[in-house]
Amino acid sequence: MSKVSYLKLDAEPKRDNGAAARYKKAAFKGTRIILLTFFLAGALLPLYWVIVTSLKGGREIYTFPIRYWPQFLTFENYSYLFKISNFQVYFRNSVLVSFFASTGALLISMLSGYALSRFRAKRIRMAFLLAMYFTQIIPAYMIMTPLYTFLARLGLSDNLLSLTVIYTGMMIAFSSIMGSGFFALIPVSMEEAAQIDGCNRIQALFQIIIPLVLPGLAAIFSFSFVNIWNELFLAVMLMSSDQNMTVPVALNSFISKAGVSWGVLSAGIVVSLLPTLVVFAVAQKYIVIGLTEGAVKE
Amino acid sequence: MRRNYNGFLFMLMIPAFLLLAVLIFFPVVKGMVIAFQNYNLNNPLSMVHFNGLDNFKAILFDTNFNFWQIIINTLIWIYVSLFFQFTLGLILALLLREPFRGRGIYSGLVFYPWALSGFAIGLIWSWMFNGQFGIVNDLLQRAHLIHLNVGFLSDPKLAMISVIIVNIWYGVPFFAIMLLAGLQSIPKELFEAAEIDGAGSVKRLFFIILPYIKTTIVSTVLLRTIWIMNFPEIIYAMTSGGPNNATNILSTQMINKLVKFYDYGQGSAVGVIIMVILFAFAFIYLKVSGAKEEGAA
Repeated sequence: MSKVSYLKLDAEPKRDNGAAARYKKAAFKGTRIILLTFFLAGALLPLYWVIVTSLKGGREIYTFPIRYWPQFLTFENYSYLFKISNFQVYFRNSVLVSFFASTGALLISMLSGYALSRFRAKRIRMAFLLAMYFTQIIPAYMIMTPLYTFLARLGLSDNLLSLTVIYTGMMIAFSSIMGSGFFALIPVSMEEAAQIDGCNRIQALFQIIIPLVLPGLAAIFSFSFVNIWNELFLAVMLMSSDQNMTVPVALNSFISKAGVSWGVLSAGIVVSLLPTLVVFAVAQKYIVIGLTEGAVKE
Repeated sequence: MRRNYNGFLFMLMIPAFLLLAVLIFFPVVKGMVIAFQNYNLNNPLSMVHFNGLDNFKAILFDTNFNFWQIIINTLIWIYVSLFFQFTLGLILALLLREPFRGRGIYSGLVFYPWALSGFAIGLIWSWMFNGQFGIVNDLLQRAHLIHLNVGFLSDPKLAMISVIIVNIWYGVPFFAIMLLAGLQSIPKELFEAAEIDGAGSVKRLFFIILPYIKTTIVSTVLLRTIWIMNFPEIIYAMTSGGPNNATNILSTQMINKLVKFYDYGQGSAVGVIIMVILFAFAFIYLKVSGAKEEGAA
């Protein structure tokens, strides 16, 4: 370390050699600011535009010249959403399904993720992990038809509980992979020490290990929540009645419904984005750790 | 004791594998069986029965949805998207590597598309690309880059470019996040040493940064290839594979067969084709990366 700082000191004069270097540095900084602005503007423009569209009246959306801020700010699209269409019902359905499915997936993958991180035999661990990765490779749409026809025969296809259970199953594999990454960060000596202190294995897991990986578990929960919240096709196939629609299914039905304008659709999109944006803002840091520690390194 | 411990761990795996078996493994096998059946809800009179390779033949020789065009579209969709997602993601990650005031808020704002659904993004952008009232047309006219409105989604030549732009927009944050995590693992000393040796920023990028995060790059790109191939939402929302098959990829073809035509047999057959391609891809990847690991050790 001392050697490095010594070298760095040595290099100082070389860096500061006159006007040319200063120009270069200024140009570098300027480019950097321009690029940062470009990325920010590019990322925010669609969000801005969907919000502005949702705040315009029906006529203003389809008139020229295009206005970048509504001339007459109105919430009529939002009131259509919640008064004429049943958007609060769809929203509630999505919240319930996403919350319970993510919780279920978390509880189950907490156990499997922990086990995956503790198998000493590499062969066993790899076999399980490969089985988990296998489910990530197959197109999710492959399981839609068999599940739908099976549930339809039982009269359970248009059912929020069925949807919740299926989503739980769909999130287990990735949650377990991510979880094993977090558990692997906790040394085995932790639960060995706990067992010497008289805990049994289950107690060691729940009282010592799980509290240590809580941020990781929050990341797994958030990741599942966002994914389930956004899922479209399975829900489209399963949910046929209006009172069972989730938010993406409702948006999908808006496209084909006559009389639903881009204003109402935009308002629906804005409402549908809110929960994921909140979850993302809170948990982004941990999700990133989870993805980099758990999923990619294996 | 050790054997007992393994037994305990196996026990913890049981709930996960029970659910996976019932909800994933069994349905996948059933789906593969359906691929060889005549299973079409539009034709309720015909009984479900095995029809050999009829579904595969129907897809391969479909006159409305030319199969080879779909394959080429899929490759273009994957690789053009990946190339730009990676390049722009790397630039963004490099920009974010060094701290500046407000970096936390900045990265939150620039990364948010990652949390949105592909379907919602497709809807937003199809409104932005609208041929009459679209903001993209308006902005390009204001910049005097075009004089008349362009049908971004109705012109077969432009439709693929348009949906790929949206996919790139969606994927840049993911790459930036992963690559940034990789960049932050590079020891500072390495940069300083390179600076002393007088390496310029381009040299540093190609000889220090990229080699150091090679593992991150390879695994991110491969995960993403699989993911983009199985990702029909954006195209479904924007063009539904049209106009005239111009943006149809394997996964949108599958979705259309399932939710528009209710032809479960043909839809599942497309799914089998996707699975075969992806397993071949994953197998080759594991072979190559496994061989490398052995060589290194």
